[in-house]
Parts: sequence; C-alpha cells; structure tokens
Amino acid sequence: MSLLAVSNLTRRYNRGGETVAAVHDVSFAIDPGETLALAGPSGSGKSTIARLVLRLIEPDAGRIEFEGNDFLALAGSALRAHRARLQMVFQDPLAAFNPRATVARVLDDPLRIHGIASRTERPHRIAELLERVGLPVDLASRAIHEISGGQRQRIAIARAIATKPSLIVLDEAVSALDVSVRGQILELLLDLQRKQRIAYLFISHDLGVIRAVAHRIVLLDAGRIAESGNARAVIDSPQSAIGKALVAAAPRLDRTMQDAS
Amino acid sequence: MSALHRFLRRPEAVAGALILAALFAMAVSAGLLFPGDPQSIAGPALLPPFQDWSLPLGTDRLGRDVLTELFHGARTSLAVGLAAAAAALAVGAVIGTLAGFTGGLTDEVLMRITDAFQTVPSFLLALAFVSVVGPSLGVVVVAIALGTWTGPARVARAEVLSIRERDYVANARVIGMHPLAIAFREVLPNALPPVLALSSVIVAAAILTEAALSFLGLADPNRVTWGGMIAEGRTVLRTAPFLSIVPGIALVLTVLGVYLAGEGIVETTAVRRGLS
Amino acid sequence: MTALVSIRDLSVSYRRDKSEVAALKSVSLDVVAGERLAIIGESGSGKSTLALAIAGLLPRGAKVDGGIAWYLRSQPALGAKAPPSVLPDISPARGEIMLSSPLSPITDIAKEERSAKLPISPLAGEMSGRTEGGVTERQPSAITETELPLLGRDIGFVFQDPSASLDPVMTIGKQIAEVARTHLGFTWSQSYAKAKTLLERVRLPDPDSALSAFPHQLSGGQKQRVAIAAAIAAGPKLLIADEATSALDTIVQAEIVALIQRLVAEDGMTLLFISHDIALAAELAERIAVFRHGTLVELGTTGQIVDAPTQAYTRALLDAHIGLDAEPLLDRSGLRR
Repeated sequence: MSLLAVSNLTRRYNRGGETVAAVHDVSFAIDPGETLALAGPSGSGKSTIARLVLRLIEPDAGRIEFEGNDFLALAGSALRAHRARLQMVFQDPLAAFNPRATVARVLDDPLRIHGIASRTERPHRIAELLERVGLPVDLASRAIHEISGGQRQRIAIARAIATKPSLIVLDEAVSALDVSVRGQILELLLDLQRKQRIAYLFISHDLGVIRAVAHRIVLLDAGRIAESGNARAVIDSPQSAIGKALVAAAPRLDRTMQDAS
Repeated sequence: MSALHRFLRRPEAVAGALILAALFAMAVSAGLLFPGDPQSIAGPALLPPFQDWSLPLGTDRLGRDVLTELFHGARTSLAVGLAAAAAALAVGAVIGTLAGFTGGLTDEVLMRITDAFQTVPSFLLALAFVSVVGPSLGVVVVAIALGTWTGPARVARAEVLSIRERDYVANARVIGMHPLAIAFREVLPNALPPVLALSSVIVAAAILTEAALSFLGLADPNRVTWGGMIAEGRTVLRTAPFLSIVPGIALVLTVLGVYLAGEGIVETTAVRRGLS
Repeated sequence: MTALVSIRDLSVSYRRDKSEVAALKSVSLDVVAGERLAIIGESGSGKSTLALAIAGLLPRGAKVDGGIAWYLRSQPALGAKAPPSVLPDISPARGEIMLSSPLSPITDIAKEERSAKLPISPLAGEMSGRTEGGVTERQPSAITETELPLLGRDIGFVFQDPSASLDPVMTIGKQIAEVARTHLGFTWSQSYAKAKTLLERVRLPDPDSALSAFPHQLSGGQKQRVAIAAAIAAGPKLLIADEATSALDTIVQAEIVALIQRLVAEDGMTLLFISHDIALAAELAERIAVFRHGTLVELGTTGQIVDAPTQAYTRALLDAHIGLDAEPLLDRSGLRR
C-alpha cells in the first residue's frame, strides 16, 4: 500500500477577477522509503502541491490519503498529532526558523509538542539529533542566526526527523546551499532514508540533483502533470515538451564555450 | 554593548536619558528625603522660592512645601504614565495579534471594536470613565489605557499580517504547534519592535493625560500630582505664579525626556536591525 | 590582449560592529576588453564584493585598498609603458580609498592616452564588425579624459533580484528612458523611442504596451529582461551580471543567459558574469576566475578550468556539480530499487 496517495488534487486561486488553477487534477503516490521528485518551471504548481500535502493550504477538490487515513478529514488536535509523521524542510533555512530561536529551542519544540521525551530527557534527545545529522553537540546553545547556512539546513533536517516521520517534504531544500554543502546534505538525506526508511517528496527545479537522488519523477507544467515515471528514464529521454525544455536548459559542463567555438 | 555605544553617541538621547534618570531619582528618593505626608503644612503660606533654604521652592496657599510636593508628584506621574502605557501596549499587542493571526470573523469583530474606541477622543473617554467610577490611582491608569491601546493594536495587527505568511510560522504548523502557541510564542515576539517604538509617545501622552485629569480634579485626592499642583496655583496665578510654573516646567521636562530617550532607543535598535 | 579594467592588489573589508571582515584580499585581475569573464565562487568568496567594487557600489564604510584602473577611451596594451589611469573606482570624495601605487597627475595621463593609438588585438578584430553600433550610440555623452567610469553610462549592472532593482511605482518605459536621457542627453521622446527599441532587443513580448506597464505586471524573467534593457540603455562598455539568473528557474535562466550572450556580442560589450554555478559560467564565458574566501584561486580559459584545473578547490567545485550525466547518488548508497 502507498504511504501517501494524492488523487485528483485541485487548488484554484483568484487573479484579477478570474479563477486560475494553480494545481489541476493532480494524482500521484509515494511508497514507504521512496523518493518522488516534483519538477517543473516556476509557477508549475510544485510548491502549491507541497503546501497542500502538508495541509498548510486546503485543496478545492481531491483526496489525500496518508498512512491509510483520509488526511483531509483530520482537524484540530487530531491533525496536529498526525503532523508528527509528515514533516517538511524549507528552501531557506534562515527564513524557516524564528529569528529569535536557539538551536536547542528549535529541536525542543517537536519533542515537547508530541510528548516524545520528558523535560529532563529532552536535552539528551537533542544531543542525539545533533549527532544524527553530523553536528557538534555544543551547537545547541547557539542562536540560529549565528550558524552557517549548511549547519542550519542540518538543523532543519534534525527537527524534521525528531518526530520519526515516514514522509518528509523537501521543498527546494538544497537549492540555496553552496555546491560543496549541497553534496553533504544530499548524502545525509540518503543515509537517513537508508537507515530509517523515510520517504521524500523532493521538490526541485534542478534535474541533475533529481536524477541523482530520486527514484521516480513527476514533471509538472502549469499545474498539470506533463510526464511521470522512473527519474533516470524520464530525464535521459523526456517525452513531454516541458521535459525536453527542462533538460535542454540544464547547465552542463560538457557544453562549454570552448566546445562551441 | 555596541547598541549602548550608538545610544550614547546621540546627544539628544543622552539628554533625554539624563532627564529620565533625574526623574526616577526624584520618585525613588521622595520617601527618603521627604518622609511623612507631603500634604502636611510645613511653613507660612505663599512663601516665594529661594527665600528660606529649608523650603527652597517656597510654599503654596496652605503652607505646603512645593519641593516635597514636586518629588512626590514625580512618583504619581511616573507610576501612572508607565502603568498606563504598559497596559495599553499589552492589551493592544494581544488584541492586534489575535486579530491579525486568526483573521476572518475574529479579526472583523476585534477591529470594529478598535474602530469604536478610536472614534471617541481618548481624553473624553478617560474623563467619562473616571467621573463614573471615581478617582483613584488604578482607575486613572485604566482610564488612560482605554484611550491609547488602539494604536498599538493596529500596528501589531499590520505586523502580524506580514509575519504570519513567513516560513517559520508554516514550519511551526508543520511540527504541530497549537495555533495560540504559534500566535504568542512565534509571532507576537517578532511583531513587538514596531509596537514598542510607540511606547515613548504613549508614555508621554499618558503623563500629560494624567496631569490634565488631575488639573480637572479627577485624581486620587490622597496623592500629590503635578496637574493638581498647577490647578492649585491657578487661583493665585497673579500673586504667586511660581506655584503653577514649577510643576509646569517639571511636566514639560518629563515629557521631553521620555520622548527623546524613547526616540533614541528606537533609532539605535532600528540601526541594528537595518544592519543585520 | 588589452585591458578594460585592471585590478591591482584590491582589498576590501567591511566593519561589522567592532571587528573587520575581509571580503577581498589583495586581488589582481585584468578584465580584457570585449571578453566574457566569469567570476565564480561560493558564498563568502568575495565575488559580489568584486562586482560592487568595480561598479563603485561598495557600501559606505567599506575599507578599500589597492587600485582599479580603467581604460575607457583608449586601450593601451597590457604591460605598456603608459602609466595607467589609476583612478579610484569609488567616488574619491569619500576619501576611503587608498591607492598602493603613487598616482601620476591625471592631466598627464590624458595626454598620453590621447596620443596612444588604438591597438588592434585579435579580440578587437573579432568584435570590430559589431562594436560600431554601440560606439556611435555613445557619442553624445563624450567621455572626458578626467571623468571616472560612470555607473549606467560606462557600466551596466544587472542584479540578482529584478524586483528589488526596478522601481515598483514607475512605468517600465520611464525607467529605461531615464537612463538614456541621463547619459545620452536625449529628449524624453527620443528616450522613449530608445526604450522601445531596447525592449524589442531584449525580446519582451508586446514592447508597446510594456512601455506603460509596471514591474509587478511582469514575470520574474520578464523583469530581468527589463533590468537588462535598462542596464544597456546608455551603451556601456562593461556589463556586470551579479547572479542575474540565480532567482530564476532553469528554463528562464537559459533564456536570460542566451539573451546576455547575444546582447554582449551585438554591442561589443565586455561581460563580467558573477555566478555560483560553474557549469552555467562555463557555458557563457571565455575565461573563468575562481574565487574562495576573498582570494583569486585560479584564473584561466574556460577549457583550462573545466578540463585541466590546477587547483584542488576548482577540482572540488567541478566534482560537486551534479550534471545530467552524473552517477546517481542512489546507486552509490544502494537505495536503487
């Protein structure tokens, strides 16, 4: 059975009096421990889908089934309790945390809210989480704005795995990072997937990164699914117009000026 | 430390801070330097200033020491001004945060109530409230806060409207934080700086409103107030103008000090935020 | 090879509270007239500081050492005897610039420059057919010898975020026309005609109605096209693109890169392309300068840098690039199903 099954998801919004579908009749499923990539140009609806799946915004039509439950039927405290299993990592790790927060508080929140550890146990669990994402334990007392971008994204991942989720939505989670840091973060994500069987909904505009880490891909264009399938197969020979355009536009080292002239 | 440095580099801010420090010193030392009832008779009536060095600022119509009254009046002015401003800021910030964060019907209702309060002149509101409930220190504080909480509420709501769309608020929802916890732990603290920036204006206005209420006789009769002293001196304005002028100068200096120091703090913190 | 800009021992540091943070440490680099030079590096490499220093846009309070010499009128060959017009790049009135080399009187430089002939370099030859348009358009604003390079007239600057560099309450036509009016001495109607031509050149759909549109009515890619049009309005010699495509998606990024490439070739401009993406830089530039922690790590032709880097850091940057032909990490991690 699928971990997450999204069917016929539609979300409309108003622009200058007319109704536009940001997401139109989108269906896909993710298996446990699988990485599904959502790709497409800006405005294709990939971030809207991420926010719909996380119930940060509500769909106009469609179903979301998560771990066998009708996820859209949940509300209030039941929804908040279920959120433990479905987490998210944002693109900009600085914007994703309260500017006044310390590392310890950021990691303490999910443990406290979901009653995962008692007050006395929590510092120990925070240290474990920091170690898990490859950070020194003494980072806990630092303010979020004091640490580097790569460290911040590791903290974001630590926070996301604190509640032992089965699915993490990664919304352009490596796009804002330096290339050297990006490689390490991708390795960390794959390591977590291998050890904890976490599934990822991997949203990115970078086909190279998707090809490197995703099992399957859904290509979106203007809120609709243009093409989907095995990530490597789709990227190596795209069939849809948007797929071809995305592949052609990806910067490539083997297409340098020297070769062109 | 560097914020303090920037503050100290503004002469007007330092002047404001010195005035405020002097005022605090007066308020704190009033009980020590001038123990006993400040309203007791200390000497002959209407003694002009600088005549008798045991009564340096002279005496009023009933022979009460003006300097003693000035010190004890500083207590009332500061207490009422700070308490009223604190109440107005707290109520305003909470209502503004709730309105902005919840949106929808709650927002509508809260903001229409805010409108209703804003359409009534705040001084009339304070006047009416004290006349009905009766003059006492607490009532005066509530009366002043009633007319001033709307400003902070509007500023807080506008700030919250922008903050609630930020990623860290979405992130708090994703980890399952309760909406009220998000509003008051994540959103409100970050919406406070522009609200607090209003505090110097509000404290200054509260001190003036308190003085005006006292002037009209709507103050706690058991406390000395600068407004009451000015009103007291009004009857003998031609013969003993110093009775109104001395507390008047104290009032002007206090409001000026609050305003300058407050602006200094706002400016220095704004510089810091702009840099980061 | 002739230099347009010659940077010598340039150091820039910013004061943050009480400590000084060095953004550039003694960088020397020549930007060759007519070339496309990419500056690449990760965050904190100093690449943007270099762009700002060349454009004279460093924030007040930045401490600058060393010199930036400009050869705007004539272009003496590199290493020529003529003393370079070592002009402080940033408004010298600020008095924060210190020149390591003694300044020769500016009038002397002017004489030297006037007598100097335009050397013909292979590069200049290549471009000669295309430069005329740009040069004639520049005539009205006759650059006097003693003038400093002027942002907008001699240097076009394209920022990362077009929404931040365009005025939200001014029509697009006016924003572009203003540049032409200020630097080319045009009347308003001439400037608007110029703006329309420019919007056609940057391939903005429906340039007529775009003239009276406001920035918020355009998409991110279209806004960047407008920003480019404004940057080249006065026919600058040097176009600086500072992460100009980083905020755009891959498809729009490719379009903007192609646009910059075409405009630079048509107008014979020199291009300084600042980017964190070595693959993108390699597609566009003839030479690449790799920066790290404020120093120039390696400089070479694109072919040298990509195929035979001499520095380990350049090698690491190349390895970190995840192209469409890279071995998927999934396979290495044993997660392939």
